[in-house]
Amino acid sequence: MDMRILLQRTLRAIAGFSICVALAAQPAPPKYDPVSVARGQQAFVASCGFCHGSRAKGGEKGPDLLRSVVVLDDENGKGIGRVILKGRPEKGMPKFAMTEDQIVDIANFLHQSIYSAADRDSYQTLNIVTGDASAGKAYFNGAGNCGSCHSVTGDLKGIGAKYEPVTLQDRLLMPLDFGPSASTKAVVTVTVTTPSGEAVSGPLLWIDDFTVALRNSQGTYVSFARKSDVIPQVEVHNPFKPHSDMILHFSDAEIHNLTAYLVTLK
Amino acid sequence: MMTKQLLLFALLPIALGAQILDPVVLTKPATDAWPTYNGDYSGRRFSTLNQIDQSNVMHLTLGWVFRVRAGAVPGAIVGGEGPAPVEGGPPNPDLSTIKATPLMVNGILYFATPDNAWAVDARSGHELWHYFWKTKGGIHIGNRGVGMYGNWLFFETPDDYLVSLDARTGKERWHVEIADVKQEYFSTPAPIVVGNHVLVGTGGDSLDVPGFLESHDPETGAIQWKWWSEPLKKGDPGSETWPDEYSMRHGGGMTWIPGTYDPELHLYYLGTGNPNPVLTGRGREGADLYTCSIVALNVDTGKLAWYFQPSPHDTHDWDAAQTTVLIDGLFEGKPRKMLAQANRNGYFFLLDRTNGKNLLTAPMVDTINWSKGIDANGQPIPNPDKEATISGVLVSPPSDGVTNWPPPSFDPDTGLFYVGVKESFSEYYLTDTDPHPEGYAAAEKYITSYGGSLLAIDYQTGKTRWKHSYIFGGGPIGILTTAGKLLFAGDGLGHLLAFDPSNGSILWHAGLSDDVSNGPETYMLDGHQYLVVGAGDSLYAFLLE
Ligand code: HEC
Repeated sequence: MDMRILLQRTLRAIAGFSICVALAAQPAPPKYDPVSVARGQQAFVASCGFCHGSRAKGGEKGPDLLRSVVVLDDENGKGIGRVILKGRPEKGMPKFAMTEDQIVDIANFLHQSIYSAADRDSYQTLNIVTGDASAGKAYFNGAGNCGSCHSVTGDLKGIGAKYEPVTLQDRLLMPLDFGPSASTKAVVTVTVTTPSGEAVSGPLLWIDDFTVALRNSQGTYVSFARKSDVIPQVEVHNPFKPHSDMILHFSDAEIHNLTAYLVTLK
Repeated sequence: MMTKQLLLFALLPIALGAQILDPVVLTKPATDAWPTYNGDYSGRRFSTLNQIDQSNVMHLTLGWVFRVRAGAVPGAIVGGEGPAPVEGGPPNPDLSTIKATPLMVNGILYFATPDNAWAVDARSGHELWHYFWKTKGGIHIGNRGVGMYGNWLFFETPDDYLVSLDARTGKERWHVEIADVKQEYFSTPAPIVVGNHVLVGTGGDSLDVPGFLESHDPETGAIQWKWWSEPLKKGDPGSETWPDEYSMRHGGGMTWIPGTYDPELHLYYLGTGNPNPVLTGRGREGADLYTCSIVALNVDTGKLAWYFQPSPHDTHDWDAAQTTVLIDGLFEGKPRKMLAQANRNGYFFLLDRTNGKNLLTAPMVDTINWSKGIDANGQPIPNPDKEATISGVLVSPPSDGVTNWPPPSFDPDTGLFYVGVKESFSEYYLTDTDPHPEGYAAAEKYITSYGGSLLAIDYQTGKTRWKHSYIFGGGPIGILTTAGKLLFAGDGLGHLLAFDPSNGSILWHAGLSDDVSNGPETYMLDGHQYLVVGAGDSLYAFLLE
């Protein structure tokens, strides 16, 4: 739908090379009282699940309640309660003698289920490790040429214990957590050469068509006005270029195999 | 308070006059007005004004800045169905980011942000009135502005009301509910007024609800017609592209981009949103019409005249909700009535807008990796291997696309179509393995971007004539071109820039306090050509010294 990863986030962050870490999923913060939701779930599975399915997503004898307008419009069990207490016997929905508290519990369970379905930022990935670890190892040492920069007994030692598999997979694609304002993480470097021939190098802090900024060898912030594309000369060095290049050629199977292999490096 | 009364007093001559907006103004390119979202019905965002040109653009200077103060601030006219807002707390940036293109009519600018609308003196940047809507909820992601009919203004709210204000006073005339916020609908578009039709769309794809476009009576707010973006029952045209009625009634297809209009053909053009569930095709096998489609509707009846589907059976959230730009010009040597769209899925499409026939489909960037080619109708063929799986698939573009809603521009003098793009990748992980998935059904992890750029596309060939790339910044950005041989756009790094539209060289720039967040606009007032742009919570007006 709408540009959800919004201007601020995208235009600043895409500008960098990766924001995957910042977007790591968090479990949905419960919006409804979890104790009541748990009671409601139990009651629902026992009394309603037979027809509506244990997750309320519909079954052979009853409709999906997470898409039900009655449920979506419900406030605190009032609308749902009317259906529960009266039933719709002619349509196959029996009536139930339930207390107000029981109804509120069921309503909370249904509302929390809807909230979790709608809140995509909280979706949890499943077991993503489906690749072939030995094929991944062969790729690491062979076609992938990963060993030219990395070593499984050196920088990658224990990497499988350090990250969740899904984070590991995302970071193997692009390990850089970087953006124009993320000065502390600026591992991209730049060399600026002024017309007089003076060259200054250091981590790149900012670059646009008019200014380039870096941290020099003394640790001081330095910025230069850019008069044109060549004055001063600006050379950006991205140490993650091999990763940027690989992404254009990786197959999904190669990615999955590599992940499966790296996960074994505990 | 004093100044406010004085300003209202100054407005009186207009208030006593007849209609503020003469409907004729809407049918020709704007010069002394900006009377509708795109300036005129064509969506080109090209102005025939040329007081500001290549020879003097470096003398552009700041005329005024207007910073919004959103919310129930003192002096605001308050309406709405929701509870009184909580006092204090930090200002909510969602309520004060200007994504609207303000209308400018008779020296007054009118625009909106979520829950808020303003009238501002276009000469001075002084506020005339501020209307605040107490919300019942809904996603407050943005508002694209107001529509105008005579003295009446119309805007939509995140909790799905169409609100009409008296442009002279900011007083509410009426409001009508257009959708149910509890079903996760939320509304962002600027209403487009065609004749006596106020065309109103909506958005929201967190749950699986159907999209629609409505036409309302400008006087009463009553519904004139409603077009559903999916067939409602088996046997209806398009129903053959869904497995069953249940899936089409929950199939999405939101209508959140203001459309364009051809008065001769009497057709209203609109790009529709993604199907639901969003990131998996399970449960909705087929092309899923009319989601991710460009549709042409008869503006009096809401009947579909034709459609073209840029993303058949979309599984990546690539709404076709980008501006449908109307081009009159040559194609293969013959004059034609055309429609161009730079689509979120990465392709540029050129259609014959009399019948929807595809003339040209061309990739805008090199990274896109989800299609197996183009079919005989000019539609990309999705590669099923790039639909979300449990272990993840690497796809370019991410769900927010190669481009997005920020308005592109077509310059008839250069024959070039200008659009802001970015080249990036995401991993899409299936999370809902139920045979009836719901909501998004998959998680997306943004992996990397190769940066953003401004593209100049030759509409007749689809080839990029020039490209201005950014290491940081760029991406989907609102654009304006003018007969002064200028292109105005932001860089996503806090600047407004003027480019030479023929070759992309930079002729002028100004640093703003935030990134450009809307489409720049221009108009004549008192003999001066104004350039107005929104960046974050402020409008900036530039003119020649
Ligand atoms: C014997 C099967 C059966 C059982 C058990 C059952 N239902 Fe239903 N329920 C149905 C049917 C069938 C309908 C659809 C009725 C209709 O078409 O109007 C329905 C409808 C509903 C609706 C209205 C949905 C709508 O959108 O109109 C709600 C709410 C509901 N049930 C809740 C419950 C709850 C809560 C329970 C357990 C306390 C429950 N049901 C148990 C069969 C059942």
